[in-house]
Parts: sequence; C-alpha cells; structure tokens
Amino acid sequence: MQRFILNRRQMLGGLAAGAGLSLLGPMSRASAAVSEIVWATWDSNGHPEYVAAFEKATGTKVKLSFLSSEDAQFAALKTGSASDWDIVNPSLNQARRYIKAGELMPLDLTKVPNLAHMYDVFKATDKVKGEDGQTYAIPYLWGLNPIVYRSDIHTEEPTYSTLFDPKFKGQLAMRDYALESIAIAALYIGIPRDRAFLLTSDELVEVKKALIAQKPLLRTYWQTIGDLTNLFATGEVTAAFSWRVPYDALKDKMKVAMAKPKAGIMGWCDCFGIPASLPEEKIETAYKFADYLLGADYASTIAEIGNYATTSSIIRDTLSTEKQEAIFIDDLSVMQNFMWPEAPENYSEWLKVWNEVKAA
Amino acid sequence: MTFRQRHLALPVAAAIIAGCIAPLAVLVAFSFYEVEDFDLVPAFSFRAWGELATSTTDWFLIGKAVLSGVATTLFTALLGYPVALALTRLAASAKGIAIIVLLTPLYTGEIVRIYAWRIVLGGEGLINTVLLGLGLIDEPLKFLLFSPFTIGLVLTYNNLPFMVLAIWVSAEMVDRRLIEAARDLGARPVDAFFRVIFPLTTPGLAAGSLTVFALSAGEMLTPNLLGGTSGATAMALIDNLFGTAFDWPLASALALALLATLFLVASAMAGLLLRLKGARAMIGRT
Repeated sequence: MQRFILNRRQMLGGLAAGAGLSLLGPMSRASAAVSEIVWATWDSNGHPEYVAAFEKATGTKVKLSFLSSEDAQFAALKTGSASDWDIVNPSLNQARRYIKAGELMPLDLTKVPNLAHMYDVFKATDKVKGEDGQTYAIPYLWGLNPIVYRSDIHTEEPTYSTLFDPKFKGQLAMRDYALESIAIAALYIGIPRDRAFLLTSDELVEVKKALIAQKPLLRTYWQTIGDLTNLFATGEVTAAFSWRVPYDALKDKMKVAMAKPKAGIMGWCDCFGIPASLPEEKIETAYKFADYLLGADYASTIAEIGNYATTSSIIRDTLSTEKQEAIFIDDLSVMQNFMWPEAPENYSEWLKVWNEVKAA
Repeated sequence: MTFRQRHLALPVAAAIIAGCIAPLAVLVAFSFYEVEDFDLVPAFSFRAWGELATSTTDWFLIGKAVLSGVATTLFTALLGYPVALALTRLAASAKGIAIIVLLTPLYTGEIVRIYAWRIVLGGEGLINTVLLGLGLIDEPLKFLLFSPFTIGLVLTYNNLPFMVLAIWVSAEMVDRRLIEAARDLGARPVDAFFRVIFPLTTPGLAAGSLTVFALSAGEMLTPNLLGGTSGATAMALIDNLFGTAFDWPLASALALALLATLFLVASAMAGLLLRLKGARAMIGRT
C-alpha cells in the first residue's frame, strides 16, 4: 500500500497555515541576503562575544536563536516552525535522529579545513554519519557531566554507587532524563560501560528495580541546571549527577567539587548541522561558520569566558595548565573513558521504564 | 436575552469553538497515525489507543490529576468560604484593597512563587530555621518541601483567589434580609449559613470549583519543581511523549483521555453543585 508521509513542508502547509504559507516560505528565503545567518544553539554556546570575530572577518552578522531543549529543536525542524534557522545544533547523541528524519544536509568536509585539528575521538565517531556513509554533522563543543558534590560532606569522592547509598538519603538528586539516569543505574547494577546504552528488555527490568529503590533516597529529580544549582545553594542536595554549571556557580561560595566516576564519564557534545532546506546562497557562509567553530577565535573565547572546550586541539598548547584542567583537556586520556549518551533503538521502552519509575 | 445581545457574543463564541475544536480534531487524527523513523504517517491504527488502554502508568497519572483537582477544589472551598463572606462585610473602600491583596500572589510569575516556596519550606528555609531556633524541632522537617504535602499546599495557595472571588460575587448578591429573617425566626448562625447563605452562594461555589478543578488538575510546573520524586503528572508525561519520545499518536490519545476524564468529573461536579435547591433558584432568575 502506498503511504503518504508528512514531511516538514507538508506539515507546515497542511496543519499550520494552509497552502499559502508553503508558497511564502521559499519566497522569503530567496530574498534573504547573506548579510545575516541565524544560528540556533544553546545560550551557553552562543554569546555574542563568541561570534564577534566571525562577524568582523566575514561581514556576516550571526543572529542567535537560543534553544529551550533538544526536543524542541527537533520538533521545530520537523514541523517547519524553524524555517528561519540557517545553522542548527544537534547533540552528538541525537544526531542520528535528525539524519534519519532527513532534516540535515550532507556536508562537504573539504570546505572545513580546521577539521584537521580535531581530536581523534571526535573525528572517529560514526554517530554523525548517515546510512549512505556521508557526514551530516560536525562535533564542535564538548564537556563532561560529572557528579557535583559538597566536599565538606562527602569526604570520599563519590561514585555512581553514592547516588544509590541509603547513607545519603534525602541529599541526592538525579536528572529527570531517561537516557542518562537509566544508563547510570545500569552501571550501578554492574552492566559494562560499552553496553550501558544497549540494554535488553530483561536488563531494563533490573534497572527499573534499582531506580525504584533509589527513589526514596532522592530529594528530587532536577529539571534544569539552574534548578540543580539552586538545590545545591540552598543545602537541599549534597551530591547529584550534574553538569558542571553548579560547580562553576558555587565554587567560591561553598565547598563543592566535581567527581569523574571511573565506571564511565558521561560526555556531552554539540554538533554543527545545516538544515536540509537551506537555500544555496547561504551554504558557503554556513561552511565558513563551521570552520570558525573549529578555529582558534571561537576556542579561545569560549574557553576563557564559558569554561568549555571545543573539539579542536588548535589552542590547547597555548592555554595555562589551570585552564586546561578547568576544561578537562589537561589529561587527554579522559577521552578514553567517555560514554556518549546515545538514543538506543528501543528508546521508547526506556522512556516507558522511566515514566513508570517516576509514577511508582 | 434579546437576539441582538446574543448576536454580540457570536464572534467570541465562534473563536472559542474554533480554537477548541480544531486542535481537538488534530489530536483525534494524530491518535490514529503511526510513527516511522520520526515521521508521522497518516493511518488508521489503534496502536496508541491499545497501548493507552493497557498502561497502568497512564491511568494512574490520569487518576492522580483527578485527585489533585478534587482535593485542591475541596481545600480552596473550605478555606475560601470564610474569606469570601468576610469580604462582603467590609466597607466598599476596604473591599477594593482586600481584593487587590487577595490577587497579589498572582501578579508574580509562577516560577518566582515556586522558588519563593523553596526558600520558605526548604531544609534551611524560613520555617525550619524558625522552628529550630525556637527549639521546637531537632531536625529540619523534610516533608515540608518535595512531597505530596508541598504540592497540596501550593496548589491550594495558588488557586485560593479564584475560589474566593467566585464565592464572594455570589455572596454579595445574597439579600441580607433573608439572613436577618432566618435569625429572627430563631436560626443559629450555623443554621443560617447552611440553610440560607450556602444554598444561595452555590452558583459561585460551582463557578469557583470548576475553575480551580481545571487549573489544578492540569498543573505541571508546581508538582514538577516542588513535588520532588512524587511530582510526576499526566501533563508532564504528555509533554515527554510529544517531545523526547516523538510518539505523537500516544501523546494525543493520552491528552484526549485526560481531557475526557476531566470533562466527565467536572460535569459531575457541576451537576451535583447545581442540583442544590439554592442554585436552582438563582439560575432560575435569569
């Protein structure tokens, strides 16, 4: 049976505003000048000062469009409500979702010379490749998701087992996010790192038991990183699977530290991607921007202001040891312990388990 | 009501119907679609409805939404009546000030209120600090924050103004002479309340109850950010299904099931309240 699949434009045309808008979309695109490109990204990745050097060098203004969530970004591309975005920001762990859905354009890597400086671990990843073998996204910014903890209360550096330890009942927090929370529980019950995102249904049952047993120990599930920072600041939580933000925000006010569990360090990585529908005249500028993201100017400013490292080694040796340590590139062996959260094939089963845990 | 008066309401009514019916129609259609490789595929599949029918989690959360709505309605009604009646006794100028004060919490955003509650109820928060300082407790009362108690407390607080306003409007319409007559004929104050004031203010109670029920049953942010590990809601699950899971058919089916359940409960509540003698008398006036 021939089936009709709704794509981005058809969805826009059919649901949002009828046929008129479908026609107006491309017309407005065609008339846009390359004097400006719109970069959909996180606010932490796209401060105006991070892109100032690009604007100066090319004369193209970078308009920042901040994302609220990865899901919102995907949904916006899918439903056509993101028609003004010229460059998007899929995460490494979700890139395949965008590629499969046909939302990204295959990239010509010869147009990004700075790729030569990229760390091998990012060069080697196949998560940004489609089934046709082509590359659809370029990793450009990364970091670690540590356990942030109060070092005055936890005298020993926490591991993932600490997050399941009744001794700390009422002081712990986990992120309200199936992918990472289930993988951490999998590591805790002894599933090896390389299989933490490839759980069978039977293993998911065991993980669910561990997560339900953990629930009474938790003060709460944190929703946003600001939320977790507030929980640390007000003394509600003393250890949590986290991002580095609470550490940076509170390190001068209280004794906080970051633990990088040996069982496996959850990494995050953001990618550069071009929407499949980007008009021809903007593509060259988009490639220039990709090269800029892997270049020295972006790397220096974001390391200095945001404490983040790009996937390029281009400025590593020029940074002080303290700065290298702050952005996790002092000891490059850390990259051997990376775990990249990856949406599994049976992700809907994971989400079901997570929702059952939360409703238990 | 004359034809002309009715005619004036038509554009708004049409907008409300269009704004309500169109999204519902879309949800109904989506609930029968299928998802393939993150694409919505038009189909006539009962997969989502089948999954919903057999999911204890989904129905548990729908039940929780109903319970949350009913409990909040009950608490706000119990607390709201004395406040509304006290408002009717105030001088006209004081009434204006009292209403503004009553609504003050609503002028701050929900997020601001949520973080303020954390400061008040937290382990190192205001209440625990005072109680510890007075020597009344040895350990902070952890249940104050991130528990079902917190959700109940904050939902009641957030919705109280809606209940008070609705009852107050009704109470203002009660003819004082009826209360005086009841007292002259020997009714105690409590009898005068239950036999005169309460029946005559039932329409206000019904309006307040339906508003509070709708607002609290569908609340997501407060349970999420103040309910701790007990903060799961059907609304958050729908959000999760639309977003992270990209399972729009199941999200649509769940949204429709939640809507239908809340509609039925609200109708039952309205039916019960408006069946009271006084309510019928008030409605019969129009």
